[in-house]
Amino acid sequence: MTDAALLQSIIASLPEIVVVTGACILLILGQLVRKGQEHFFVSASVAIVLIAALATLLLANEVRPAYSGMFIADRFAVFFKLVFYLATVLTFLLSRKYADIEGIASSEYYVLLLFALFGMMIMASATDLLSIYVGLELMVLCTYVLTGFMRREQRSNEAALKYVILGAVSTGIFLYGVSLVYGLTGTTQLDAMAQAVTGAPLDPGLLLAVVFIVAGLVFKVGAVPFHMWLPDVYEGAPTTITAFMSVGPKAAGFAVILRVFLNPLVAASDAWIIVAVIAVVTMALGSFVALVQDNFKRLLAYSSIAHAGFAIFGVVAGGQDGIASVMLYMLIYAFMNLGIFGAVIMMRNGDFSGEVIDDYAGFAKSHPGLALLMLLYLFSLAGIPPTAGFFAKFYVLVALVERGFVMLAVIAVLLSAVAAYFYIRIVMVIYMREPERAFEPALTPMVRATLAFTALGTIGIGLFPAWFLGLAQQSASGG
Amino acid sequence: MGIPLLSLIIFTPVAGAAVLMFLRSDDAVRWTALIVTVLDLALSIVLLAGFDTTTHEMQFTEKVPWVPALGITYALGVDGISALFVFLTALLGAVSVLASWVAIERKVTAFMASLLAMQALMLGVFLSLDLFLFYVFWEAMLIPMYLIIGVWGGEGRVYAAFKFFLYTLAGSLLFLVGVIVLYFQGGETFDILALTAQDLPFRIQSWLFFAFLIAFAVKVPMVPVHTWLPDAHVQAPTAGSIILAGVLLKMGAYGFLRFSLPMLPEASVYFSPLMLALSALAIVYGGLLALAQDDLKKLVAYSSISHMGFVTMGIFALNIRGLEGGILQMFNHGVTTGALFLFVGLIYERTHTRSIADYGGLMKVAPVYTVFLALFTLSSMALPGTNSFVGELLVLSGGFAANLAVGAAAVLGATLGAAYLLGMYRRVALGPASVGARSKIRDVNAREMVAILPLAVFVLWVGLYPKPFLAIIDASVTHLLTEVHGRESGQ
Repeated sequence: MTDAALLQSIIASLPEIVVVTGACILLILGQLVRKGQEHFFVSASVAIVLIAALATLLLANEVRPAYSGMFIADRFAVFFKLVFYLATVLTFLLSRKYADIEGIASSEYYVLLLFALFGMMIMASATDLLSIYVGLELMVLCTYVLTGFMRREQRSNEAALKYVILGAVSTGIFLYGVSLVYGLTGTTQLDAMAQAVTGAPLDPGLLLAVVFIVAGLVFKVGAVPFHMWLPDVYEGAPTTITAFMSVGPKAAGFAVILRVFLNPLVAASDAWIIVAVIAVVTMALGSFVALVQDNFKRLLAYSSIAHAGFAIFGVVAGGQDGIASVMLYMLIYAFMNLGIFGAVIMMRNGDFSGEVIDDYAGFAKSHPGLALLMLLYLFSLAGIPPTAGFFAKFYVLVALVERGFVMLAVIAVLLSAVAAYFYIRIVMVIYMREPERAFEPALTPMVRATLAFTALGTIGIGLFPAWFLGLAQQSASGG
Repeated sequence: MGIPLLSLIIFTPVAGAAVLMFLRSDDAVRWTALIVTVLDLALSIVLLAGFDTTTHEMQFTEKVPWVPALGITYALGVDGISALFVFLTALLGAVSVLASWVAIERKVTAFMASLLAMQALMLGVFLSLDLFLFYVFWEAMLIPMYLIIGVWGGEGRVYAAFKFFLYTLAGSLLFLVGVIVLYFQGGETFDILALTAQDLPFRIQSWLFFAFLIAFAVKVPMVPVHTWLPDAHVQAPTAGSIILAGVLLKMGAYGFLRFSLPMLPEASVYFSPLMLALSALAIVYGGLLALAQDDLKKLVAYSSISHMGFVTMGIFALNIRGLEGGILQMFNHGVTTGALFLFVGLIYERTHTRSIADYGGLMKVAPVYTVFLALFTLSSMALPGTNSFVGELLVLSGGFAANLAVGAAAVLGATLGAAYLLGMYRRVALGPASVGARSKIRDVNAREMVAILPLAVFVLWVGLYPKPFLAIIDASVTHLLTEVHGRESGQ
């Protein structure tokens, strides 16, 4: 690599460099800063992410391939990186008080989140199966550790163990698919793969490889049949990490899926029916199983499975609108899901867990304002207008119908009616039941800010979706 | 562009709801809500006053791009059909506030805010000229209505609210897919007028007809998707029932008028026998169910199913008398049934029982109440001189012209109506006064009179001199019919 090319590569990956450097500095500082100064880590981490975001935006205008075709900085990557920044910053803001209450306040917590962010950023920009793999592993290794961060809690340990074992298996499957692709086409670069698979009748070996790669990726977004880890891990992990995982890594998974599927593997569309089936089954399972959950975190885990299913419908639709619909879905999901998790996190105070749905009985009576916010997030998750959640689903349906998949659209809406039931059930508990005991939510200014910001996004994108839609459409075509 | 009157009509209640949040005392909330709804009513009267009845064209139109990438606009407009319902909605909005004055004691602010939000959304439905916008209003209504039933309702409110929510949602979502299919078939636009001008192939029309039918039938509600209605009505607070019966049920019928008929004319004509049969079924079945009720509210709720059968029958008779009768009957049903629910609410507040068997002899203790109850009961059974007579007569003559058997079934339904309504009135108002009821019953007070009187005026006005009301809708209905038959016979 020449110096000029190296310089270009460094510029293209500047945001990643900012994040990883910042994380390393924090790691060292973590050993120096005295106890009781954890506030510093939140501000420092947020500052690092904001600098990275600034760098990303500055680089957004141009497509910059880098590192000999392993990496690219394009608008598609920029869009996803912005979603990651959003998820990470909001997680930082939600974490401070919660970490104190749970006794997990240490610098590593923030450093690991930053490394996970770094991994996700690589995933969004990767244009080679190997760099995808590197990003993926970096991200999941951090989330494994974060899942088990509540060391004294058995549930947390169990979740982490389960996650590590299943995650390792899925990584193995993914790598096996990659090795098959390399064996058959002699390349791991997505563009070169695209050339190799077009034209001639599809090699059955390649189809097998596709299936393996799909399986590996589908695990990360928690789609059926690789969803089993998700409820347990979501339940066991610290709630802030659950919030983070439900948005960031999931969006990263979709970023890779969109890159891999909609370019090189589009020719392998015999496998398309598999994706459609995955979408239907994922949404059905997520929606129906969520109906019987009593634990809020588990319910949100299944709800996140259902949402992943809905987003996969956008992948099925394909095309520019299909890609844009998934991207917009991820952005909107980040707002509403972090919002609802913010509410759950805020409930954790003293001996109050906020994990059981019954904990919220009569919440509207004691905290009308917060209840109204939760109402907003829940109706948005259910996809009722004028919230953003409606527009997210609407655009996926538009993409589906545009491609002629009307039957799939009908299935999708019927399943979302099922899903609406459990969101509305929570609204019922909040608004229509009598409070059982008094409680005081852990409302710090940071949590307040997070809730206000996510609420603004949830209602704002719903009322004025045009700009965000345009952004997603441009980013989808911006390769 | 002058004053955007239609946006003003929609957003006045929204602004009012926002103001409520800053008020501390419940009475201030009540008065503000009343002032806002009366203001909105005044605006709707301004609209009617400026309305040109000689044309079917959309008037007072507003159009602002909303999501240009998908061809979505914020487009509003009124024609004769919607003008009438805008007025009805505004009228019942003010009545609902009055009806909840003392009935709602807890969380008054939230209740009034929900009521105002509801009103804004309903007005939005009638005024939208963009399908996406229409859908947003149509669906968003679920949120305040769910809360109104579920938070301030009776014993079984949670179940009823759930049922209402899920039925309507499931129906509407299919409608959404239909809307998107229509969007692509009709040249990637959500503009209602542009879509109306499209000629779609019959096969697509029939699919869309059923997708729309499910959504609209749930709202009307038509048998067999009517079962949410009695639950919702019985559990809802009085204002909720008034809005449900008065306006919400009209939205399904309005959907047929605004979408099914003009956009899918061939399918509408082709499936009209089915629709007529379903309407006749609703009329008779609803009537029979009403006949068997002991709960006052349930009786009125089932009678609604029967009466809405007349409306859909009028619409799908697809002739001028049927259509005009159907639309007028929508208005009449809003006024009359809204009033009947108000009356049920008034007496329930006093006695806390809705069982007809607990009443009797109210004539002696509450004469004013029973006189007005008589008026609305007679109106509900379509006695000459009342509003429903005019509407029902038009529907029947339209129905007979369309299909003899269906017309005959409707007459049977009308007879059933006389039976259960007279029976109800006899058992509530006449005879010896029941001991338990008599001691607690006061006659209507001044505030209640204010809510009742305008409704009574419209009962008699439409009944004795329906011409101005028919004049409002005439041009639009005539145009609608030429749309349906002109295109259908032209194929």
